[in-house]
Amino acid sequence: MSHPTDDELVDIALGEPVDGDRSAHVEQCAVCAASVEQLRRTARLASGSESYAGWQAPDDAVWARVTAQIDADDQPRAEVPDIETAGTAYAPGPGPADATVTPISAGARVTRRRAAAWGAALVAASLVVGLLAGRAIWSPDESGSVSQVALKTLDTRQREGEASVVRTGDGLDLTVVTDRPLDAGDGYLEVWLINADGKRMVSVGVLRPGETDTFPISQALIDQGYVVVDISKEQFDDKPAHSGDSLLRGRLPA
Amino acid sequence: MHVHDDPDIESAELAVRLAGGDREALAEMYRRWSPLVHTIALRALGTREDAEDVVQQVFVAAWRGRATLRPDRGSPAAWLVGITKHRVADVRTQRYRAHRNLQALASEVVTEPATTHDSDWAERLLLVHELERMGDPRATVLRMAFIEDRTHDDIARTLEMPLGTVKSHVRRGLLELRDRLKEVERVASD
Repeated sequence: MSHPTDDELVDIALGEPVDGDRSAHVEQCAVCAASVEQLRRTARLASGSESYAGWQAPDDAVWARVTAQIDADDQPRAEVPDIETAGTAYAPGPGPADATVTPISAGARVTRRRAAAWGAALVAASLVVGLLAGRAIWSPDESGSVSQVALKTLDTRQREGEASVVRTGDGLDLTVVTDRPLDAGDGYLEVWLINADGKRMVSVGVLRPGETDTFPISQALIDQGYVVVDISKEQFDDKPAHSGDSLLRGRLPA
Repeated sequence: MHVHDDPDIESAELAVRLAGGDREALAEMYRRWSPLVHTIALRALGTREDAEDVVQQVFVAAWRGRATLRPDRGSPAAWLVGITKHRVADVRTQRYRAHRNLQALASEVVTEPATTHDSDWAERLLLVHELERMGDPRATVLRMAFIEDRTHDDIARTLEMPLGTVKSHVRRGLLELRDRLKEVERVASD
């Protein structure tokens, strides 16, 4: 005997009248019985779905964390040094084969979860800066460029600026140069160093209107993985966290 | 003229674009479905911190695993919910281990992790989302049939709709919702 149609299975699941031989078949056939049970479960779950209290969006900063982590994955291929590719669509390989998936031990993940409290991470990072700034491992008379990276838009990967880390007499300076002044709209622009783990970030300072600005940073930050330079658009909203609205970004080479 | 009136077609296009490595497609998926993912994680885990961690992990995993998205299965939302269930289960396992390690110091008795009926929250919330997304009159018919538990005759009278049309919406709608849950199950059991 042939299986009932999907429509007939729905009717059986909902207790609607069907031909006797159809329901007799379902009692004999494991496949159809499973289908009917699945449909009943669907109806049950739909009936109990009214008691939810509304959608709750995650904090805006979560999106910045997502893109920072993805940028860290894509780094080896994202760093196209040459301006000719600017403007072409960003097109990584077709599958996960080229993506780096880093397994994280359970212990490390728990620790990182705790570290994820945004404010706490900022405070902790500030402490690190405060404690370790100036006690860096290079000799103070060595000056010069340490590393630099193109700053690109997140969506189209258009190169629109550059960030460089320069060793100075008493620490490191991060210099940000944009090809043209960025539009801050009603708000202001803020420069961040995002950790390669995508979990933590520190605010480096406010980018003044114009095309270039320099901020003091420390070797300790770089050593701890704060290597993704990010310029965000912020609103005057008394929220110290990243707005999630990143304009340009680039990861400093190791 | 707007060419994307059908949300299913639009979703399938997003899936194809994501599979091809388009980051703007990921951003669009985040805009649409991060509240769904976040609400599920929040229900299941209870803290905003853990829930936002799960959101981050789900969308990073979506990007890394974009080749496993099956555009023909229709719904990136169900795919994301499947990944969410995975991540929520991971967090729960970690909590259980942490709890067990603490317990083990005091006693050999190991209790099972607190599992409540909320294991169905992911599916329930996905169905809420699907009903919100589904066009009328089908969504209304399904709400009346399943949430308000009204008979098909009653629905037909109230909506001034032929009984056959009501039955047809119920059948198509329930099958569609069933397919979404199957997709969740496929991804979550990988």
